[in-house]
Amino acid sequence: MKNTLRQVFHSPKFVGGFVIFVAILLLMIIYPLINPGDPLEMIGINTFAKPGTYVSLYDATKAKYEPMRLTDAEDKRLDAYLSAEDRVAMVEWFGLAGIDISNLDIEDTDALMDLWNDNYDPAFKIKGMTKAKVNYFRRLNNSIQQLQSADVIVLADTNEETGELEETGQVNKNDYVNVNSVVNVKFLPLGTDNFGRDVLKELVSAIGTSMLIGLLAGSVATLIGLTLGLLSGYVGGVVDDIIMFITNVFTVIPSFVLLILITYSISQDQRGAAVVGGVIGLTSWTWTTRSVRSQVISLRNRDHVNLSKLSGHSLVRIVLTDILPYIASYVVMAFILQVSSGILAEAQLSMLGLGPKMTEVPTLGLMMNWAMLYSAHTNGSWWAYFPVILTIALISFSLNLMNTGLDQVFNPTLRD
Amino acid sequence: MKKLTAMLLVAAMTIGLVACGNNAGTPDSGNAPAQDAGTETSGGGAEAEAPAAEEPAAEEPAASGTDDVNVLPREETLYFAGQQWGAVNSWNIMGTNQNNAMAIAGGPSGYRTLMFETLYMYNFMNGEIMGLLANDDYAWNDDMTQMTLTIKDAAKWSDGTPVTAEDVKRTWDVSVEIANGTGSTYGSYIDTIEADGNTVTINAKLNDAGQPVNPLKILDFLTGAPIAQAAWIDTLSDRCGGDATAMLNDPGDDVVWSGPYTKYFSDDQRVVLSRDDNYWGQDASMWGSLPVPKYIAHTIYADNAASEVGLKNGEVDVAQLFIANVQDLWLKDGLPISTYYEEAPYGVCLTMPTAWYNMNMPVLAENAALRKAIAMAVDYDHIISAAMTNQSPTFKDVPRSLMNPTDGEQALYNKSEVADLQWEGNDIEGAKALLDEAGIVDNDGDGYREWNGEKISLNAVCPNGWSDWQASMVDVAAAGEAIGVEITTLYPEYDIYQTVFTDPNQTEYAIFMWSPEAASPSNPWTRVNQFLGMDYVGVQNNWSGNWGQYKNEEADALIKQIPLTTDEAELKDLYTQLVEIYLTEVPSFSLMYRPSVFHTVNESVWTNYPSGDDGRNIPPADCTDGYGIAALYELELVQ
Repeated sequence: MKNTLRQVFHSPKFVGGFVIFVAILLLMIIYPLINPGDPLEMIGINTFAKPGTYVSLYDATKAKYEPMRLTDAEDKRLDAYLSAEDRVAMVEWFGLAGIDISNLDIEDTDALMDLWNDNYDPAFKIKGMTKAKVNYFRRLNNSIQQLQSADVIVLADTNEETGELEETGQVNKNDYVNVNSVVNVKFLPLGTDNFGRDVLKELVSAIGTSMLIGLLAGSVATLIGLTLGLLSGYVGGVVDDIIMFITNVFTVIPSFVLLILITYSISQDQRGAAVVGGVIGLTSWTWTTRSVRSQVISLRNRDHVNLSKLSGHSLVRIVLTDILPYIASYVVMAFILQVSSGILAEAQLSMLGLGPKMTEVPTLGLMMNWAMLYSAHTNGSWWAYFPVILTIALISFSLNLMNTGLDQVFNPTLRD
Repeated sequence: MKKLTAMLLVAAMTIGLVACGNNAGTPDSGNAPAQDAGTETSGGGAEAEAPAAEEPAAEEPAASGTDDVNVLPREETLYFAGQQWGAVNSWNIMGTNQNNAMAIAGGPSGYRTLMFETLYMYNFMNGEIMGLLANDDYAWNDDMTQMTLTIKDAAKWSDGTPVTAEDVKRTWDVSVEIANGTGSTYGSYIDTIEADGNTVTINAKLNDAGQPVNPLKILDFLTGAPIAQAAWIDTLSDRCGGDATAMLNDPGDDVVWSGPYTKYFSDDQRVVLSRDDNYWGQDASMWGSLPVPKYIAHTIYADNAASEVGLKNGEVDVAQLFIANVQDLWLKDGLPISTYYEEAPYGVCLTMPTAWYNMNMPVLAENAALRKAIAMAVDYDHIISAAMTNQSPTFKDVPRSLMNPTDGEQALYNKSEVADLQWEGNDIEGAKALLDEAGIVDNDGDGYREWNGEKISLNAVCPNGWSDWQASMVDVAAAGEAIGVEITTLYPEYDIYQTVFTDPNQTEYAIFMWSPEAASPSNPWTRVNQFLGMDYVGVQNNWSGNWGQYKNEEADALIKQIPLTTDEAELKDLYTQLVEIYLTEVPSFSLMYRPSVFHTVNESVWTNYPSGDDGRNIPPADCTDGYGIAALYELELVQ
């Protein structure tokens, strides 16, 4: 046993896969300790907040300001409110409105804005201009006005007695606040999803559920596959015929279609993670049966098996002690693959809206399902689905890598 | 050897992917006509094929096998999305189940008059009722039991014969006889229709006291019931031997129409209508011109997401779709896309998608406190900002009642009188207190409350794929969790959902979603009746209202009084009483105000769509519904 393990851990492929897998497991265990709480809590009010650090604006105005003179601050502001495309668009508008721009320098921001302020009128209609363009110029006008607003933003409070606004403070253009001195700061490494949930927290919790589903599916499939394969291979005869008939029938029915039909017929309130895992396992045992059977057939007439038979050992004992150990390594590898395909199957099912019910647990597939329903893929909210895809890919990659590594150790024809 | 195998595998996969990509790009143009023929025959027998062949079907774009988007001249075609799902079943205006969204459909703001026309058009922007087939002036007699109107002289059918009062009468008589949509919707309100020359007289049904049942519904008839040609109805009737079922299911390919467009092509990929250049409406007494686009095309997309991609790519001009974060299309992506209003809610919010409590379940029927507690605990602000991406006013802006958020309806009840009954949501403590007070508490310590010794376990249901509703149900379930009532979400497929929630005896869905009526001349009465009235209690296949089967005699009596009340103060008092009952009893609770009349347009090809600030008062009714069709006469090509 020790020797086998040493051999296994000498395989670079296995070690690679193992490291990735353990890293994911560690993330799953450690992250909830750092960031405890309900992974389904809807912290964001709006949809799809970008990844980054969020600073409470309210608290920031109360923190201590540190005035600083940064030379590029003004340029950055200009760029943010008035991009190069905006400048071109302004010139285009002047042209359409028939304004003389012969001696206008597009880089001269002040001249550009003065000319704009003198001429732009939201009520002025330019014939043939689309609504989208009209709206665009109106927004551009707003940001130009913002750019030109006073250097000071006044903070005010409503006086409770008179109901009037009273100035309580001012924020200058060159005031800065140390992030550490703001009371409420929230770091969202992967932003929020369509419900306003913390994606990383949800993802970590989803990995756990999906792993569980995968493990359950893998166990069920391997158990059924192994039992039937051993029986059919060792007993042979009519039993073999019957089991192989059933297996063949299940092999020709596309298992994913079967999976869809079964999950569809289970009503949604019954569809917890465990049920989905079980159903996936029930539909994916066939190839384990077939390969275990063929291995058993090649073992069944070996001398030590015959010896056991002559000694009058029971069927169960022969199978467990004389046959199973010889195919154990193969079964472990098949199990790893089953786990991997179980996780993928859950993701596929959930994408079709047939996964576990959402209100209780997050799973990788459900996260993708909601991201798709809220068009995360078309509105550029990559953080809502890409980390999920990456995680699924990494999990199945690591499992497959481990499997290949094991194969090289156990399969004599592949041994170096 | 292994490397070679691996490389071969990669090559095979790449080729496979490329091949798939191609398939997706060109919707199988090869088999489209075959499927078309299939639909026609299954629709209704041998006759169907003859007219289909006579139509300009010979130049069917798909038959040529080229990319169909390019075959209709782009600069003469207006592309729609969001209306037609699946292939058209029939063109029979007298039938049912036509699944023909572009030609035969009543939108939330009036009938879609592209092919079949109504007597009047409704403009909810100003409440005006304008003449279409009929002249502008309709007249009531003194006690509102009889209405007279005259048909326009210019109005003609597509075969050149004039539209007459006899057509209106025949449409009504046969509609009642075979119980189609028009017949069953207005059958309780209209007694008979008489024709004399070009004068139509509508006699209202009277109640026991000799008063009309509901004159408002007759106004709905004017703007909501399409008129068919008497001669064609006779043809239909002869063909079907007068059998009602056969008449309802006839494919109606030889139908005669009066509108500006007619069928040109349809299969399971798209539906195209083409302009009828002999349309009577170009007469100066009506529009004075033809509508601008020569073709109206609707590609049949798989779902909202696919339609949205079409809109973004400029393959769709006008879409009536819920698009999450629609403002990103112009703010982030810089696309030439705009909505009726530039700011949220982007459209006109006329309806309130509502969660209905199933009163067939004793735990809900007998516990008003439970109903109110759940409704109070739901975080509506989150639903509106996350599920609806802010495309709705909040319940702080427009406090909840039976009214939609338009100023007209909001003025119909006394706000101060019911102010302390209204809730804004997310009131967990208040909800808990309410339940504790009602004795619904958690005795066995499992975190969930019990009633009569049994754990309360409810489900919150809406159709699968209706993303904003699904997200709302998640919030309802979260509210339940917060107050110790188990609520799980359930998203059945729509075809299952619709059979269950319309069944008056169902006990499968505890809390389920549906929208009440949006806008028409008879609202808010119709909506109030849907919320509290008893007309629909026990009605099989109930699409009409009160889906939760709530029974309240007092409310029902008040509702019956409203149509006959003309005094404004009295009317306001009645509505206020009803709002009070509704907010106390909570037989259902609205989750948001939804833009029911809205459209998103891509101005890559066409422009001059109606918008909220252009002073034209054309409603954003998808350029097709009610007075919204006026938009089609004012479209311009982008220069």
